[in-house]
Amino acid sequence: MLAKLMKYEIKGTARIFIPLYLLLLLFALLNRIINPFSLLENSDNFNLQVLFSIISVTVYFILIIGTFVMTLIIMIQRFYKNLLGDEGYLMFTLPVKSWQHIVSKLIISMLWTILSFITAICSILILVNVDNLSEVLSLFISKFTDIFGTAGFFTLPYYALIALISNILMIYGAIALGHTFSKHKLMASFGMYCILYVIYQVVMLLFILLFGKKNITSIVTSAAPSVLQINTLILELSIPLIIILVANFILTNTILRKKLNLE
Amino acid sequence: MSNILTCRNVTKVFGSKVAVNDVTLDIPRGKIVGLLGPNASGKSTFIKLCNDLLTPTSGEILIDGNRPGIETKKIVSYLPERNYLNDWMKVSDIIGLFRDFYSDFNEEKAYDMLKKLNINPKDKLKTMSKGTKEKVQLILVMSREAQLYMLDEPIGGVDPAARDYILDTILSNYNENATIIISTHLISDIEKILDEVVFIKEGKIVLTKTVDEIREETGKSVDSLFREVFKC
Amino acid sequence: MPWELKSDRPIYSQLIEQIELRICSGVYPLGSKLPSVRDLAQEAAVNPNTMQRALSKLEEDGLLYSNRTSGRFVTEDVNMINQVKNKLAKEHVQIFLKKMTELGFDYEEILSIITTLAEEMKK
Repeated sequence: MLAKLMKYEIKGTARIFIPLYLLLLLFALLNRIINPFSLLENSDNFNLQVLFSIISVTVYFILIIGTFVMTLIIMIQRFYKNLLGDEGYLMFTLPVKSWQHIVSKLIISMLWTILSFITAICSILILVNVDNLSEVLSLFISKFTDIFGTAGFFTLPYYALIALISNILMIYGAIALGHTFSKHKLMASFGMYCILYVIYQVVMLLFILLFGKKNITSIVTSAAPSVLQINTLILELSIPLIIILVANFILTNTILRKKLNLE
Repeated sequence: MSNILTCRNVTKVFGSKVAVNDVTLDIPRGKIVGLLGPNASGKSTFIKLCNDLLTPTSGEILIDGNRPGIETKKIVSYLPERNYLNDWMKVSDIIGLFRDFYSDFNEEKAYDMLKKLNINPKDKLKTMSKGTKEKVQLILVMSREAQLYMLDEPIGGVDPAARDYILDTILSNYNENATIIISTHLISDIEKILDEVVFIKEGKIVLTKTVDEIREETGKSVDSLFREVFKC
Repeated sequence: MPWELKSDRPIYSQLIEQIELRICSGVYPLGSKLPSVRDLAQEAAVNPNTMQRALSKLEEDGLLYSNRTSGRFVTEDVNMINQVKNKLAKEHVQIFLKKMTELGFDYEEILSIITTLAEEMKK
């Protein structure tokens, strides 16, 4: 059932993202070919070519920012419209548990976020002609392992993933809380998000003050923090995120199960 | 054979408003039952409670012996008042969805009914008129071989010819192991196809009788009796 | 033949009358097989259970009989059908006579009106 929900989730969202990604990559390619930056550098007067270059660069930047904005908007809209709007009548009468709805949307939101990120990076790589890509890459990797060690290839993505999940669930939690209001649900959701965000910050702070002080002080005071210290810190900081993640999940699921009230 | 739907003292309160007030009801299998009442009498709320779209404030609902949840959703086919189809889908997409999630969905029947109504499965839902979308929804609901059908105002916003088609579809899908509950305020159109009627007023059940009992005892149609009972 | 069901009388009794009418007038001929309960209910746009009860009553009365495997049939007993025909005729005439006497006609006048109209209808 979860797989089926995800299938329809992808079907419902791919028609927006795929064209967007293609457009982004296309414009990256276009800009690479036209090479507007050198054009702008070398030309003294303002002519059609310069105008065209300016437009094409602007469009590219709009597309890249737009991709991330769209990812966020779709993430919110899928939850809000598909579960709590009229489509909710279809969704919640399917023989499926409410947590499966949450998880399917969570996973697909994560998918698009990661894909948006990858596409953006690819577009940058297309745009910027990087000579000796393998050299730059190996330089980057050695600098990275200096600070984070090979463990860093696991701990940082792990942290990023936990942070992503936690944030998405916080958005869902806010939308679910907003739904319990009888009027102005959307505004209430925004308000609830602010409140949840404050709580999130407080929990992080409390955690650091209570448990993380020792590790942080030793990292800050030492000249060269060890790879172990850094990675331990990263893992420790993921704990409050996990707490928030679980709390938001339980909150959202409970509201969907017990407090659902479709108009 | 036990009752398909059993309600005991079901109450639903929204803030200060009591939408469903201490409803106790038993509905056996193989019946077509009309849930009749004016707007805002609690009909839709009651149906939503049966479909686990709302949680009762108190009381118990059992469908085939189970509380509303996954097991009941498998055997209940619900037609809401609203249009719940995602606009971007084609008709064939939504049929695929129903087939994927409901093991009792009869795809052949659905396509058959679409053909009879001249609805092209490749059409996108957003290009369809409201009336056509409602017909699609009805087809989806009636193509399930469910044990309990709950239709909330199926003939509400539809023209008289379409109403006849809908009633005909309901009759042709009847089987004696399933029960159909129709909630409506348009009574004269449907009273002939009902076994029993339940009058609901301000969340309370005020009458439960068969159509013929009402006609026999009062010499009136159910529609006339309704107008009397619910006089403004 | 369309099904004429009035809204203020029980559907069950009206169905019995309508089926009797169809048998008498030959819509359902002697010994013929009746459509299924479902089909009849759909045709008449009534509840199948109500139709079923009406058919059962007619079976009880002997106008219909059912064969478990092949369905319901109209009786082959011509006398029975004539009995029903006469019963219906009597009912119609009684209603007619009542209305006519309400209008103030006496029996001779009624008879002459009938005879005249019947002649005209033949032409």
